[in-house]
Amino acid sequence: MPRWGMVIDLDKCVGCQACSTACKVENNVPHGSPDEQRLRREIYWNKVIAVTTGKYPRVNTELIPMPCMHCDHAPCVTVCPTKATYRREDGIIVQDFRRCIGCKYCIVACPYGARSFNSKEQEEKEYHRQDLPPDRSVWGQWPFPTRTHGVVEKCTFCFHRIDQGLKEGKKIGKEVVPACVEDCPTGARIFGDLDDTHSEISSLLASRDWIRLREELDTKSKVYYLLK
Amino acid sequence: MGLTFSKIEGKSRDFYILLIVLAVFTLIGFICFMVSYITGHHVLGTNNIIPWGMPIIITIYLIGLSAGSLILSSLTYVFGKEEYRPIARLAVFLAIILIFGAMIGIAMDLGRPEKSWRLFMFFVLNNMRSMFAVNGILYGGYFLIGIVYLGVIFAEKYKFIRMMGMLAVFWAALVHMGTGAIFGFIAARPIFFSPIKPFEFLAAAMVSGLALLMIAVVAIFKFTKRNFNKTIIFSLGKLLLTLIIVLVVMVLVDKLTHLYSPDREPMVWLLTGPYSWVFWGLQVGLAYILPILLLAHPRYSKNIRGVMVAAFLVVIGIFGERFALVIPGTAYPLPFYPGKIEGIWGAAGSFPITPVESFMSIGIFTLMGLFLLLGLKNLELLPVDEKGEQTPAPSEKK
Repeated sequence: MPRWGMVIDLDKCVGCQACSTACKVENNVPHGSPDEQRLRREIYWNKVIAVTTGKYPRVNTELIPMPCMHCDHAPCVTVCPTKATYRREDGIIVQDFRRCIGCKYCIVACPYGARSFNSKEQEEKEYHRQDLPPDRSVWGQWPFPTRTHGVVEKCTFCFHRIDQGLKEGKKIGKEVVPACVEDCPTGARIFGDLDDTHSEISSLLASRDWIRLREELDTKSKVYYLLK
Repeated sequence: MGLTFSKIEGKSRDFYILLIVLAVFTLIGFICFMVSYITGHHVLGTNNIIPWGMPIIITIYLIGLSAGSLILSSLTYVFGKEEYRPIARLAVFLAIILIFGAMIGIAMDLGRPEKSWRLFMFFVLNNMRSMFAVNGILYGGYFLIGIVYLGVIFAEKYKFIRMMGMLAVFWAALVHMGTGAIFGFIAARPIFFSPIKPFEFLAAAMVSGLALLMIAVVAIFKFTKRNFNKTIIFSLGKLLLTLIIVLVVMVLVDKLTHLYSPDREPMVWLLTGPYSWVFWGLQVGLAYILPILLLAHPRYSKNIRGVMVAAFLVVIGIFGERFALVIPGTAYPLPFYPGKIEGIWGAAGSFPITPVESFMSIGIFTLMGLFLLLGLKNLELLPVDEKGEQTPAPSEKK
């Protein structure tokens, strides 16, 4: 069984937010008004944060793209009372909207702020946008045909693409990757199997210095960052 | 044991006016709940950084009041302190109403309350590692135990009362420690994360439950023109003082531990940040310092008004304590990466008070008030005032 993981090369990331946009398009994540964004009500499955160190004029800004870390020891899975959040066998942490009762305990428990609460029903036309790619059938069935407010949402590593790709016998990590990896203009994101010693991410992790975020909590996250 | 209990008349004009006012506010609260349920939680003050708002604050507050009230009923039924018998039935009844209000609060907080049956599918569809699921067992059991307990008290089966009383006290302590564990076990939130949280919650529960019980007793006895023995209130005041000091020690230990370790930024933020007024003003000021001064004062502690003011301050202050836990605990920004996180991702959360949420919260309280009035009218909760002197017989020990 593979164990899917992601490597983000901070040296290559330019902070263009293409991953955030690609994620919103692929998963039809509702977009919010500036007011909602300021109040932290907008749903983000992937975010890019800017972290500064030092004082002007000696400032260093680092741009950290943050999808869900898909931790092996996921605090959200531990606290979910209804098994709405669970770890698939391939290590992806998914959220089942049909089981979720909206208690928001997982948002409190997540140390990465990767989870968002869907707090309002979107307009029908916003959900079924005309500008979606017409050939989305190649990526498999979209996993969220109906969506309701009142549940918690999060990044899924685009598991619908992975499942479809495996069914068609495609190579995951090369031919089939999550939307954010596919759309990254600088190739800063690499997706693959952490347990496969021949995969690209395994060789990257063996040859470069890497960190994981909030290592002190020992969540064993599967998103690795290559340092500058 | 020669004490008999009765219903209240409940036929005066004031009674009906009060009933109607409470019913109207309950209805408004219900409408506001339906608004938030149908249109989504964007009408509330919560957001993705402060996911828990007023309903959860009220819920843990009410669970505390309930557990405290039930534990105090055991003074009579388990430990045999006869002087408290006149108020013991009321204590059990209050506990049941309060836990019911707390359940309503949880339902209001859920995004999908129609699926809340999933919380009670223990060991089948539930993840029993979740403190929420464990607390589902505790709350459900507590509600049932409370009702059976009240039932055997009404039936006056003394053997069962003592047994149920012991079970109820044990369970009530578990319930509130479980509630504390919901917060105390979350490692990602430094203000929550503390092994002493369950015990702190238990102490806060006893303090607030006792204070509420004292207020309820004095108010109801005054309103129904019953005489009462003031010495019970004074001795309960002494107990309250002791419990407040226990609570202060617990809170002090918790905060000092967090301040002592190098990772003290979140606790410093709580004590000096934008929500520090809740902590210092409501929690420390109203719940600890003023009541301790009043209850330790030689004159005010022997004055019914002084004790009542202290109890009232405690009830308000413990609400502040819950607020100062839930809101700042989640509002403190998560340190994703060393350095200063710019923009909204590094900013502390803000919690606007919205009308819908406020009316929802008021609705929970008025619903409980409604149940209390109906209970007083239909159940034999209050002692009979036989000679028009004092209902609780003066205790011999004092």
